[in-house]
Amino acid sequence: MADNSTYHSWLNEKRSHAWSVYQSTPTPTTKSEEWRYTDLAKLFPLEQITLEMGLVDSTQRPNREDLIEATNTAGRIQLTDGLVTNIQVDPAVDSQGVGLDSIQNTTHEKYQEIIRTNLCSHVLPPESGKFQALNAALWKDGVVIYVPKNVHVKMPIRGKHTLSTGNSAVCARTLIIAEEGSHVSYVEEFHSDDFSNKSMVSSSVEVVAHRNASVDFVSVQNLGRGIFFQVAQKSLVHRDACVNTLNVNLGSSLSRLDLNTRLLEPGANSKMLGLYFGDKDQHFDHNTSQDHLAPHTRSDLLYKGALDGNSRAAFRGIIRVHSGAQQSDAYQTNRTLLLSEQARADSLPNLEIEADDVKCSHGSTVGQLDPETIFYLLSRGFSRQQAERLIVLGFLGDVMTKLPHGAFRRVVKNVTDAVEQKLRHG
Amino acid sequence: MSNAPALDIRGLSAKVADEEISILKSLDLALNPGEIHAIMGPNGSGKSTLAKVLAGHPSYQVTGGEALYLGQSLLDMEPDERALAGIFMAFQYPVEIPGVSIANFLRTALQARLGRGEELDLFDFQDQLLEAMKLLEVEPSFAERPVNDGFSGGEKKRNEILQMAVLKPSLAILDETDSGLDIDALQVVSNGVNTLHKENPEMTILLITHYQRLLDYIKPDFVHVMVDGKIVRTGGPELALELEKQGYVNWKPSS
Repeated sequence: MADNSTYHSWLNEKRSHAWSVYQSTPTPTTKSEEWRYTDLAKLFPLEQITLEMGLVDSTQRPNREDLIEATNTAGRIQLTDGLVTNIQVDPAVDSQGVGLDSIQNTTHEKYQEIIRTNLCSHVLPPESGKFQALNAALWKDGVVIYVPKNVHVKMPIRGKHTLSTGNSAVCARTLIIAEEGSHVSYVEEFHSDDFSNKSMVSSSVEVVAHRNASVDFVSVQNLGRGIFFQVAQKSLVHRDACVNTLNVNLGSSLSRLDLNTRLLEPGANSKMLGLYFGDKDQHFDHNTSQDHLAPHTRSDLLYKGALDGNSRAAFRGIIRVHSGAQQSDAYQTNRTLLLSEQARADSLPNLEIEADDVKCSHGSTVGQLDPETIFYLLSRGFSRQQAERLIVLGFLGDVMTKLPHGAFRRVVKNVTDAVEQKLRHG
Repeated sequence: MSNAPALDIRGLSAKVADEEISILKSLDLALNPGEIHAIMGPNGSGKSTLAKVLAGHPSYQVTGGEALYLGQSLLDMEPDERALAGIFMAFQYPVEIPGVSIANFLRTALQARLGRGEELDLFDFQDQLLEAMKLLEVEPSFAERPVNDGFSGGEKKRNEILQMAVLKPSLAILDETDSGLDIDALQVVSNGVNTLHKENPEMTILLITHYQRLLDYIKPDFVHVMVDGKIVRTGGPELALELEKQGYVNWKPSS
């Protein structure tokens, strides 16, 4: 058994450091390019919530049991208010040395070592930004997934985050390490009731895919209103490795995603997918970057959303092809469908290219439902409402068809149902 | 009702909604149930406008006359009401609907034709769809592709007739279905239309085309020549051959 007190004091040192970074980092304002579309002072004044740094020695050990009748899941992990409460792992997956554990409470030496090497350091250090520092200081627990060399976890691991009360700030971390030649997919979902007082849910996700490994990461956010959902995700992709992400934003009042994928070595590739559906006064802000640091790397980003009511979405995406990253392919597309006169979308795709032999494209569209398409559907006997629903579901569902097929059938169904539900109420 | 023409157009005039100039100018045309009519005419004569007006396209405004479908006034009906009443238009330029599979599209369209509380029998639907796909000579995987998304011109037109086969209209208006088709695809599509008409001899068909070529494959009972928003001559299939030889030059309005 590992010496947990040494491990915990190491974690707390990291937290204290992050807290000092947080305190010395100014709160972003719309004057900064990366926050120009989201006025925090107006939408979510940080002064309104209590943020206190507290050291964490241990939290309650989660229940751990074998996952039986596991036909479509390799493991499940449940978090309530940011604390891991239950873990179930398919014994067959467990026996291959695949780790699924609580970051705070793992007693496994190997995972502790992995966490010490990777957590809040070279992937997503607190210096990355105000909220990245806040999360690194205030997190109490999180999910670590470790996949040993050449192990393929066929079915997805599922994570479920729920909130019991509207709290000041719930911060959780996720660390996924896929060793050489391994494969894993992780699907996390965030759910909660609506809260009248302002609450914040913060998630920091660090993914490392070593040589020839592949990681699929899906996040579905359907939190209640009143919540600011703040996410930072960073992926490091090594030689011939692949990291695919899908971020679905449906709930919360305000959401901000900072997504950065770094393609470190030749052959690295990444598909970055996003889907959002806003209504009423929801505000979604996506800030993405695709860093090509080596030749023969490939990234392909597609973010699509629909906005109803007074909702608003911002997309700011950048492709950076660093010098020497020849023969890289980088693509970036953002499309938003406006379903009401009051909805608004801002899109700012960007390219910074320091290599001369690359294939890059970027584009964005913001548009209304096409009257010709509606007429086509009417002429087949659809009512106007049915026509609009079908177009929106098709428009958004298109993103999910880009997922590796099979394993995510349940996600696709859940997301489709949730979008349909929102369309009905819209 | 049985005595009423399938389509009875009297003095129909129409224009683009936000423009002044008339495109259809007091047009008369009557189709009895089960008949196949072809309208031919030069570009700009108003053929496609007629098709769109009959389907209820919002860009056009009817300024006079009437159009009766089985004795019932069509012009007051919404486009979806017309479709549910049995009118189908095959589009000249079918629209792409990304993310919506043909199977899902047609299933939903058929479900819309059922009354409240009635559920579509999915096994029957599957059989119908497979049969229609066989008729149009497409692979079964065709139904899983998003509607017209990335389709070739020929695939789009096959998909239009596939929809016609599944939706079983009583009046089908085919707007330049032959345009953009190579000879093989034209044969497949024409064979599809002929088979559907044989299966349902009561189905009335209005073919709109610029070229006589289509009429080698689908034999019309009547051929109408349309120039400048009006039918200027009506005859049998031989009229199409005459046009093929002489072109539309002689039919241009004098000024």
